[in-house]
Amino acid sequence: MPQIIVENITKTYLVDKVPIDAVRSVSLRIEKGDFISIVGHSGSGKTTLLSMIGGITRPSSGKVLFEGEDIYELASDRVSEYRCEKIGFMFQFASLLPILTVKENLLLPTVFRPRPAGQEAAKAEELLHLVGLTEKINVYPAQLSGGQQRRVAIARAFMNDPALVLADEPTGDLDEETEGDMMRFFKTMNESKGVTFIMVTHNTDLAKQTKQHLRMNQGTLQTV
Amino acid sequence: MAFRNLRRRPLRTGILVAALSLMVAALVFALSFVTRVNSSIKLTSDRLGADLLIVPTGARGGAEDILVENRATSFYMNKSFVDRIKKIEGIDKVSAQTYLVTLTGLCCSVPSSMVVAFNQETDFIVAPWMKDKLGRKLRKGEAIVGSESAYNINLGMVEMEAKLFGSVFSMVGVLDKTGSGLDTAVFISDENIEEIIKNSEADIKPDQISVIFAKLKKGADPYTVMSEIENNIIELDVVMRKDIGKSLITTLGDISKIFYLTMVLSTILSLFLVWAIFTAIANERTREVGIMRALGAKEKHVVTLFLFEVLVLGAIGSIVGIIAGTSLTLIMAQSFSILKNLPVDLTNFTRTVIAFAGLVFGTGICVLGALSPVQRLKKLEPLLVIKQE
Repeated sequence: MPQIIVENITKTYLVDKVPIDAVRSVSLRIEKGDFISIVGHSGSGKTTLLSMIGGITRPSSGKVLFEGEDIYELASDRVSEYRCEKIGFMFQFASLLPILTVKENLLLPTVFRPRPAGQEAAKAEELLHLVGLTEKINVYPAQLSGGQQRRVAIARAFMNDPALVLADEPTGDLDEETEGDMMRFFKTMNESKGVTFIMVTHNTDLAKQTKQHLRMNQGTLQTV
Repeated sequence: MAFRNLRRRPLRTGILVAALSLMVAALVFALSFVTRVNSSIKLTSDRLGADLLIVPTGARGGAEDILVENRATSFYMNKSFVDRIKKIEGIDKVSAQTYLVTLTGLCCSVPSSMVVAFNQETDFIVAPWMKDKLGRKLRKGEAIVGSESAYNINLGMVEMEAKLFGSVFSMVGVLDKTGSGLDTAVFISDENIEEIIKNSEADIKPDQISVIFAKLKKGADPYTVMSEIENNIIELDVVMRKDIGKSLITTLGDISKIFYLTMVLSTILSLFLVWAIFTAIANERTREVGIMRALGAKEKHVVTLFLFEVLVLGAIGSIVGIIAGTSLTLIMAQSFSILKNLPVDLTNFTRTVIAFAGLVFGTGICVLGALSPVQRLKKLEPLLVIKQE
């Protein structure tokens, strides 16, 4: 059974009382361990599709099934648990909380877990080491460059051992070398731990490194 | 996180804490003031031992000054009224007292206070408080003092004799604490009055008294007896036990209204301030809450975070307000004439209850003001705020 089944989902926004379809009747089947890239112009609906798969915005119609369970049939708290335990998010902006140190930002998703996994601090240190920021563990986000903040956010996405990582232009602020390092890190997580990746990017070179390439165009999904 | 969030904007946090503190301080002061005055009046009335208090016309306030507020004052009427009162239907027994005010340095060796000369044969007001202390009747040249006066004149520590109106009196005992104005008086038998008049320039004649206490027969209606006295003897005013302190209550009522109005206005202002500040906080942190929700925070996590912040703010503001309000009460008790003379002070239990009320009120206002912004935040759809970036 596919890990994720997206069934005919549509998201309609009202802009000045005019309905606009951000995503139109998209269907998709994703197997565990897939590494999918989605490219497309700005406003083509990539982020909205990612958000509907991740349970952070409800589709206007259609279903998203994760391991056979329709996530939008779940109660609000259960959807939060789904986001916390199954999904690792990387947003298209540096999404760190300014009042928390780097380590505390990494630990934040674990605070929301219904059952703490244990060893959280050690895991945070290990992930920071993997993204090359060990020495920044106790500093605040304001003391980091944009690229460093982005790497912390990448590390944070793996804190709860997610089954699915949703990455929205995860390397946008990174220089070419660090971008390559991060991409290798993603591939390692995908291959060694079987983490499923859906990555939105403008970078076609990055997209080519993934197992499956899709394109969003005016709210619809096409295979490249 | 809540503490760090509060430290983000110290000026804004400070303003909110200061506003809450002022509101709670006003509440604590108002409650302490009203409670203390009401307790004093009730206690005085409960312990008086007489159903009616009969004074010369126009001296009703003076009598209340003595009984409720411990203020030394004197007023006189002819002793013959005692017999006329006795004859009125419904009266069981009567006892007269004469009030004399000492003047430090001129006639007397004690600080300015009230001397009460009472008739031991008819007395039912003082006796219940002195039986255990003395065990016999007072003799001529002997005095017994109220519990507060004993402390004031160092009785039992320095001197056992005092000069009152030119005569030397032996202080032979201390009255039990009555919780009324009697606590600050010195009590002598009315047999001493003639000698006092002879030895001093006290402005009183031998046939004068200040007040008649009356006890009613069982089943007698106090209103009827009061009307009977006032209609037949126009030179007298009658105060019923339950009406003692009424003029003070009326004055207090107006003061209370001002207090309560100030409270209502400051509560509305604080509510508005908390709402405005938490709306601003909610707007500032929309993106952060969106991120937290996307990372798995439940609605309860968002509410708990903000609620804790609100409670910390409310608790700090309330505690500062309680300290300020209590200090204000203690300071005012020394200089505010109504409070200075009251026989009853607040007990530690009452102070604790008032402080607790201040804490609940202060934090309650904070929670109430923050309710609507927090409700809005917890219902936020993460994508909408994430896309705003």
